[in-house]
Amino acid sequence: MRKELLSTAGGAVEAAKRAGAKDAWAAVSRSREVSYELRNGKLEKVQDSTSRGLMIRLFVDGRYSAHATTDLRPDQLRLFVENGVAITRAMQPDPHRRLADRALYPTVLPALQLDDGKVGKLERDTRLAWLNAMNERVAGAPKVISATSSVDDTTSVVAAASSNGFQHAYETTNIGYSTSITLDDGDKRPEDWMGAWARHVDALPPVAGIADEALRLTRARLGMTKGPTLRTTMIVDARAAGSLIGRLLGPASAASVQQERSFWRGKLGKAMVSSKLSVVDDPLIPRALGSRPFDGEGIAAARLPLIEGGVFKSLYVDTYYGQKLGVKPTTGGGSNRVVALGTRNRDALVAAAKDGVYVTSWLGGNMDPTTGDFSLGARGHLIEGGAIGAAIGEMNVTGNIVDLFGRLVELGNDPWKFSSTLAPTLVFEGVQFSGK
Amino acid sequence: MIDRRRFLRAAGAGTALLTMPQFLVGCAKHGASTLPAVTPENPFLAWFGIDEAMLRRVMAELTSRGATHADAYFQHVRNNSIVMEDGIISRASSNIEQGVGLRVVVGDQVGFAFTEDLTEAAMVAAARTAAAIASGSPGSRPEKFAYRGDERSYYKIAVPWSEVGVDKKLPRIQKAEALARANDPSIKKVTIYWTDSEERVLVVNREGRIATDQRPMSQLYVSVTAEKNGVTQSNGSNLAGRRGFASLDDAALAKVTKEAVDRTLVLFDAKRPPAGELPVILAAGASGILLHEAIGHGLEADFNRKGTSIYSKLIGQKIAPDFVTIVDDALLDSERGALNVDDEGNDTERTVLVENGVLRSYLHDQISADHYKLKPTGSGRRESYRHAPLPRMRCTFMTNGPHAREEVIAAVKGTGIIAETFTNGQVQIGAGDYTFYIKNGWLVEDGKVTAPIKDVNIIGNGPESLKRITMAANDSKLDTGGWTCGKDGQGVPVSQGLPTVLVSKMTVGGENA
Repeated sequence: MRKELLSTAGGAVEAAKRAGAKDAWAAVSRSREVSYELRNGKLEKVQDSTSRGLMIRLFVDGRYSAHATTDLRPDQLRLFVENGVAITRAMQPDPHRRLADRALYPTVLPALQLDDGKVGKLERDTRLAWLNAMNERVAGAPKVISATSSVDDTTSVVAAASSNGFQHAYETTNIGYSTSITLDDGDKRPEDWMGAWARHVDALPPVAGIADEALRLTRARLGMTKGPTLRTTMIVDARAAGSLIGRLLGPASAASVQQERSFWRGKLGKAMVSSKLSVVDDPLIPRALGSRPFDGEGIAAARLPLIEGGVFKSLYVDTYYGQKLGVKPTTGGGSNRVVALGTRNRDALVAAAKDGVYVTSWLGGNMDPTTGDFSLGARGHLIEGGAIGAAIGEMNVTGNIVDLFGRLVELGNDPWKFSSTLAPTLVFEGVQFSGK
Repeated sequence: MIDRRRFLRAAGAGTALLTMPQFLVGCAKHGASTLPAVTPENPFLAWFGIDEAMLRRVMAELTSRGATHADAYFQHVRNNSIVMEDGIISRASSNIEQGVGLRVVVGDQVGFAFTEDLTEAAMVAAARTAAAIASGSPGSRPEKFAYRGDERSYYKIAVPWSEVGVDKKLPRIQKAEALARANDPSIKKVTIYWTDSEERVLVVNREGRIATDQRPMSQLYVSVTAEKNGVTQSNGSNLAGRRGFASLDDAALAKVTKEAVDRTLVLFDAKRPPAGELPVILAAGASGILLHEAIGHGLEADFNRKGTSIYSKLIGQKIAPDFVTIVDDALLDSERGALNVDDEGNDTERTVLVENGVLRSYLHDQISADHYKLKPTGSGRRESYRHAPLPRMRCTFMTNGPHAREEVIAAVKGTGIIAETFTNGQVQIGAGDYTFYIKNGWLVEDGKVTAPIKDVNIIGNGPESLKRITMAANDSKLDTGGWTCGKDGQGVPVSQGLPTVLVSKMTVGGENA
C-alpha cells in the first residue's frame, strides 16, 4: 500500500512539473473507518468504508495554489493537476511562497509505533462482544432512557512526495470505545459519557470500566440546579482542561501573529502566565494520539517548548508565515501538547480548595484570539467543605485567557490520557462565574 | 485532529454545534472541462459514469438481506476558494469530492458504507458491507426507475459556478478589499475569503425513485484588524447563500465590507456587561440562533424517537406565548438552508414547528417518520456521501410578532442587553441547556441603548427561555451569515431568522467588578 500511494504522489508531482510547475508537493491517503453503535441492547448502526484522496500544492511562476480530489483515476488525475497549474497561473506572484527547505525533511522516519496490525484485523464478533459487555453494565439500571455504546477504529496510510526530494509514507491506527447515557430526571434528561482512545488495542482499558464510569458520571448529574454568580476558585477536570489549553495556544502561530490576530504577538521570551505552567509540543512520543514523523509540509518532527515556567518560548511557524515574519520555521501545527504535571490528584486539590466550582465540561462559548477575551458555558459541581458537592450547570465562566492562566495556582498529577493534549486537573483562583 | 473528532463524536450523543465558517484551509475553482455536462434525457447518470443496469445490481445487493428502506446517494462536490491577504491574492484552492453512500435501514437499524470508486465492483462490495446490518431474506428491489420529476428549484442560478473563471472572481475580491480598507485609517489588515461551490446529487431508493439536485453555494467573508492607541481588535462579516456570481455585486460588497469594519471598530469602545441573569433583547436576524439551539435541535425527531430530547413528550402542548410561531422552511429562495429535495430523495416542505405557542411537529427523516407512522418532513440531510442522513434543520425562523422594535427596547427596566452578532452556539439535547456567543451587542439601561458590549456567552434552558419570551416585533428577517450546523460529526448549511424579541431573563456571561 505504501508503495502504491508513494507512486501516486510521485506521479502527481511529475505531472505538475510537466504541466509547468516549478515545484510541487503531493500527499495521498487511504483510510478505512469502521464504526459500530449499540443502543439499549440493539445494534443500531454499522458503518464500514474505505476513503482515499490526493492533495497537491503547486508553485508556478512565483504563484501558489492547492487542490484536493477523491477521484484518483489516472486520466482524471492528470487533468486535475493540469487544471490546478492553470489556476495557479491566474494568481498573483508572492515572493514568500515556497516548499519547505529540504534540510528540514527527515532522512529516516523515527519508530513511533503509530500503527497496530490488530486494529485492521478486528473481527465483527470482537466488536460486538465489547459492545455487549458495555451494555450489560448499564442495561436495566434505574432511570436509564438511552444507553449508547460505540466502537470506532481507523486504519490509515499517508504518503507524500515533493519536487525537492521528499518521499516518505507511514501508517497509523486509532481505536476507541465509549458509552453515552441519558437518564430520566423529571423534566430534564441529564447525559454524560466516558470513552477511551488509543493507537493500539492493548493500550485500551477494559470496556466494563468505561461503561461503569459513564453511568457514574451521568448519575452525578441528577438533580442539577443552576450555578451561582460569583468570583471563586475554579477546578477544571482533566477531561475539560485540554480545551482550555487549546484556546490558550490556538493563536500561538506565526500565521495569527503575522496577521495581527493574536494576543501572543510581541510576547516571545516574556513571562505571560503563571510560572506553574509549562507546555511542550512533542510529536515523538511513541504510540501517542498526536504523534507524527513529519508535519503537513514534511518538516521532521521535533519537540517544541511552547511555555516554560510561564514564559512564552516558541511559536508554531510554517514555511510561508516564517518567510513573511523573517523567522525560521518550527512546524505549522500542533501534535501532542504535554502539560507539566503537579504532585497531587484531583481529590487532594478539591480538598485543599475547600470552596469553589469544579468544572467537568464546557458548553459552547468562544474566545477572541486577538484580545484573549473569552466567555464559556460550563457545568460541574459545587465544591463544599473540600468535597465535590451538588451538580450545577447553566452558568458561564468569563474573563481573559491570559489573565486566567495568570490565576493558575496548581496542576494535578492526573492527565487525561485519551487526547493529544495531555493536561491534568487545573486550579485557578478568583474566576468569574455567572449563573443565577 | 482525529482524537478531537472522536471526542466530538462521543460527546455528540447529547450536544450539537452551530458555527460560523472556518477559513483556515481553502478549496477552489477548477475548470468544468474534465467532466461531461448533465444531459437532459438522462440527468446525472452519465455524469457519474453509471447507468440503470448498474444501479439495479447495486440495489439488488443492498437489499439482499432484507430492508425496510435502502438508498444510494451519489454526490459530486467542487469547492473553490480564493484568499486575498496583505494585498496579494496568492492562495487559491479547490476540492473535488465524489462518491456514493449506500444505506440499508431495518427499522431503527442502519448499515452504511461508501466508496469513491464508482465502478460496479466497488459499489457492489460496499453495498454488501452495508447490507450486513440485515439478516433476512432478499427484500423488494427496483426493476424500473422513475425520476422524481422536474419540480421548481429554489436556487437556480443564471451561470453555474463551473463556468465562472478565476479571472472574473479576482477583480471582485480586490474590490471588496479596497472597499474595506477605505473605511477607516485605523484598519491594518483586511483579508477576503471567497468560496463558491457546486454540488450534484442523485438519490435512488428501494422503490426505484430517482431524485436529483444541483446545489450552488457562495460565501464571502471579510476579516478586518484595526489598531488604535496600541490596542488591536479584529472582527468580520460574512455573506452566504445558494447564489451565483451576479449576487456579489457592488452593493453586496459594500454592505458586507461595511459590516465587517463597523463590527471591528465598535470593539474599541465595547465593555463586558454585568454577570448574571438579565433581560436580553435579541436583534432581528442572526438571533435566530436562539431558535436553532433552544428548540430546533430538540425537535429533530431522532432525539425524540430515542426519548433523549427535553421536548419528547410535548407535542400538542403550549410551550410559548400565543404570538410565537416557529417555522423550519426548506422552500426559501437562495437561502443557505434552502433545499429542493432532501438527502434521502424526499420532497421538502415548510414545516410549522410551533404554531401560536403550541408545539406542532418534529423534523422527520425516513426512519423517524416510519417510527411515528408519519410522512417525512424532508429533513433527512447529510454532510456528504460519507455519512448516513439524520433529521436536520433547514431555515429556522420565527414569524412576525405584534410589537414594534422601539417598544421592545423601551420595555427593558433596569439593565439589559441587546444581542446583535454571534459566532457560535451549542445545546445539550437532554438537559435542554443551550448557549450562544455574542460577538457584538449593546447595553440597555431603562429602555435606552447606552454602550457597546462584546464577547459574552449566553446560557439558558430551551423550554424555560421560550416561556420567557415576552415581546416580539414585526421585523422578522433571515440572516445571511453563512451558518453551518454540526451534529454527530456532520456539518450542513442552515439559515436562521428572528424578529426583535425580548426574553425576560437569560444568564449573561459578563463580569462584575
